[in-house]
Amino acid sequence: MTSSASHYLNRFRAYLRIDQTIRDDAAEEIYGHLEDKTQELEENGLSREEAGKMAAQSLGSPELIAQQIYETHAQGSWTEAFFSALPHFLAAFLFASYYYWHNIIGLSIILALTVGIAVYGWHRGKPIWLFPWLGYYLMPVVVTGILLLSLPQGWGWMAALIYIPLALFVFVYIVRQTARRDWLYASLMLAPMAVMFGWFLSVGAGNELLANDMWLGRLQAKMPWIVASFIALAGATIGFIRLKPRRHKILSLLTPPVVVLLSVALASRGNIDLWGWLILLFSLSAFAIPVWMQARAYQ
Amino acid sequence: MNYGRELLKGNTDSLLLCLISSQPTYGYQIVKELEKRSNGYFQFKEGTLYPALHRLERERLIEGKWQILPNGQQRRYYYITERGRHVLVSKLATWQDFSTAVQAVIQPETA
Repeated sequence: MTSSASHYLNRFRAYLRIDQTIRDDAAEEIYGHLEDKTQELEENGLSREEAGKMAAQSLGSPELIAQQIYETHAQGSWTEAFFSALPHFLAAFLFASYYYWHNIIGLSIILALTVGIAVYGWHRGKPIWLFPWLGYYLMPVVVTGILLLSLPQGWGWMAALIYIPLALFVFVYIVRQTARRDWLYASLMLAPMAVMFGWFLSVGAGNELLANDMWLGRLQAKMPWIVASFIALAGATIGFIRLKPRRHKILSLLTPPVVVLLSVALASRGNIDLWGWLILLFSLSAFAIPVWMQARAYQ
Repeated sequence: MNYGRELLKGNTDSLLLCLISSQPTYGYQIVKELEKRSNGYFQFKEGTLYPALHRLERERLIEGKWQILPNGQQRRYYYITERGRHVLVSKLATWQDFSTAVQAVIQPETA
């Protein structure tokens, strides 16, 4: 391979953020084209390096080709959009039904459905619609860490010292694995966590989370806002799946944190303690960092 | 705006489907064949071919299959699908009607 071809393919690969199998195939195909063209130009009397350079030039901008190929594959079907948004609709339904009916049967059905769909998605080669579901599965890992802080004095910190590094390892590992495929998928995955985490922490911190009556009462008071934020998240997810240009996808993903921040601020009327705000901002930044990294990569 | 380029852009799918329907072929050969059959009239930026092929494949109008050449190099050959054939027939019929109508307008005596 000539240095021009190698440089061209590196640029092409770096810019084409799609499923690795499709990316490898596309790069291999472009490589074949470069080789054929180089060979033809060599037969016309050019040196290998010159021919390689001209072959790369005749193909045009690798970024433009990558962008056009990305847009071809970026738009998910309506079915994918539905499955991606479904966990958010279920979360909204769950909160709404608990508020009105305290529906434990509904909760059990939703949990069974959630696990069933995740298992199905996992065995279907981890399609894009699985990522929002994965975000909900990470929730127990994080919430357990917070609840550990509520154990009796001394025990809580000891448990946290053991648990938090383990939980962080799991969290970082999953985020990195997801981001390898595409940074935006990591944000898609973390979006529900940012929303849910923010809401729970806006109603109480530390020991208050175990004092049922207090935080449950506050949570119920904010329920319409919570339901609205999950519906907004579902809408943003549908937008993310259906939109073609990457910029529009990023914009769509940025909507939920803005909605959550506004909702939390409006619903609490500014009555959130410092701890709550810090955790809220932390969870939102965990969600926003992949979007920001992607935006930088895009520039 | 380049009128010829716009026309080519609007008919890329038909041209690609037509070429692929005559025989399974690969990217570089498509570029060459288009140039040859049109006596050099169609010379588009080679890279724009691949997004179009990806789009047609995603729409299940064509199907790509890898073939290994004796020298070890891999080539992705495209085959037209049944669905692709139907779309091609429909596109060619539309084009024929359009072309006849344009001809009738600009040269009424020959229509």
